[in-house]
Amino acid sequence: MNCPRCGKSMITLEIKEVEIDYCLSCHGIWLDNGELELLLRDAKRKEKLLQSFLLTSVPGEKPLKCPVCHKKMLQVMVKKVLLDKCRHGHGLWFDNDELQKILEMGDFDPDNTIKKHLTEIFNNKEAKGE
Amino acid sequence: MWELIQTNRRRSIVLFIGMGLSLLLLGFFIGEAFWGSDGWIAGMSIAFLIWLIMSAVSYFSGDAIVLAMSHAKRVTPEIHPRLFNVVEEMKIAANLPTMPKVYIIPDIAPNAFATGRNPETSSVVVTAGLLEKLDRDELQGVIAHEVSHITNRDILFMTFSAVILGSIVFLSHIFLRSLWFGGGRRSSSRSSSKGGGQLQLIMMLIAILLAVLAPIMAQLLYFAISRKREYLADASAIRLTRYPEGLASALEKIAASDINLESANKATAGLFIVNPLIKKGQRLTALTSTHPPVLERIKILRSIAGGANYADYQRAYSSLKQGTETRTSIIPPSGIQDTKKIELTKPGKREITAESSRRKLDDLIRTLNDFVFLQCTCGLKIKIPPDLKVNNISCPRCGRILEIPLSQLQRIKSRWKADKATNA
Ligand SMILES: [Zn+2]
Ligand SMILES: [Zn+2]
Repeated sequence: MNCPRCGKSMITLEIKEVEIDYCLSCHGIWLDNGELELLLRDAKRKEKLLQSFLLTSVPGEKPLKCPVCHKKMLQVMVKKVLLDKCRHGHGLWFDNDELQKILEMGDFDPDNTIKKHLTEIFNNKEAKGE
Repeated sequence: MWELIQTNRRRSIVLFIGMGLSLLLLGFFIGEAFWGSDGWIAGMSIAFLIWLIMSAVSYFSGDAIVLAMSHAKRVTPEIHPRLFNVVEEMKIAANLPTMPKVYIIPDIAPNAFATGRNPETSSVVVTAGLLEKLDRDELQGVIAHEVSHITNRDILFMTFSAVILGSIVFLSHIFLRSLWFGGGRRSSSRSSSKGGGQLQLIMMLIAILLAVLAPIMAQLLYFAISRKREYLADASAIRLTRYPEGLASALEKIAASDINLESANKATAGLFIVNPLIKKGQRLTALTSTHPPVLERIKILRSIAGGANYADYQRAYSSLKQGTETRTSIIPPSGIQDTKKIELTKPGKREITAESSRRKLDDLIRTLNDFVFLQCTCGLKIKIPPDLKVNNISCPRCGRILEIPLSQLQRIKSRWKADKATNA
């Protein structure tokens, strides 16, 4: 799968049975539909969360293309974090600065399942030996 | 079952001549349509040449073509020990002279086929999805069915038909395409020679009709001569495994799948154990396939009682087909006389499929596509696609620098070597 931001091939990171795709050059991440379901343990909860995102459009910014179906993605605003969501439900794209925002903020999603998983990989003090 | 081998040889010759004649016919009309009254000479010569080349190619490298069309990847035992184990078991049970080459198609749709020229140069192909869906008994049933196609000498005929069918579909497609794009040019040349114009138009219409019909006719011909073959391979498979329920439950799982096998097409569909092209929800009952309806095959397998020899299968078949087809013999005469008792095995403990099997399937497909797998000491698993050329990676979780292990690069290299050996 190729990074929607810079087109490079992405690597896959798996921990606790959940995979995310990660771009080595721009450090953005892709959360696939199936993995979202695994994380939230339920297709209904996943749908509910995706529906709760507010559609926006950032003037002057070209919409990114879904790495699965290559159709233009929708820009959504979630608690001041700008994400890209595939309109056919293939997944969610987080740019690196948006990912950093999520790691710093208190609450992101209900129960913070997504935030906890992202923290587990990208902000794990224990693993980094800090 | 010597007469079976004879029958297959005779059918291959009939198919060879039949397909050749239809090609010549097509060449005649296309030649007339394109080049006027003497055009048939050129048309038929080209058709004859195509027929010769096609036949030679499909005889000598039909298996390589079919394998390439299906995106099948040659695998080594490390990639899937259980599969190799089962193939080896069935190779011994069926008395094959050499171990078949083993291939996996990196696709989640479950299915399987066998190809090759003779038992010495055979290949067994399964999809990654099949390996994930089936337990050991079911996999054994499927492999036994495929190995039976090898011992029954079906593979040459099936591969040959697949390639010839593919060529006919391709040629008629090319012809119809060329009409579509070159239409304008021809109509102007036709108006300049008024006399032959009318006849040429008629020839053109016949050529179009033939080009549309040829692929359908070829498919029907193929269909007509391959139905018995599937029943017979089921019957032979049961002799090998002595456990009809394994194959029955495998067929049920394959037919119940609603995922389409992407690399399958009209030409290769007839090779597979269950037709991969039938639409969702119709696989169990579809009559229009190259295969007998799967539901019927399952019912026969489940009503086998008493033993696992050919006579037992024929009995189950006849009792199911009460009325019209009771007397149809699926099994050639020498098979029916084979009344040596073969005990059925009792069902053993069924394995329970692991929960994280979807993850295992994805990782198998990645392995086939030559991904590198790293396991960082911090617990993160990293999977790197082959087009990302890196020597090391800094773990995004803990920051450790991870080198790409030599053993993995060797694994990929040995798979490439195996792939190359096939094409040679
Ligand atoms: Zn990138
Ligand atoms: Zn998409």
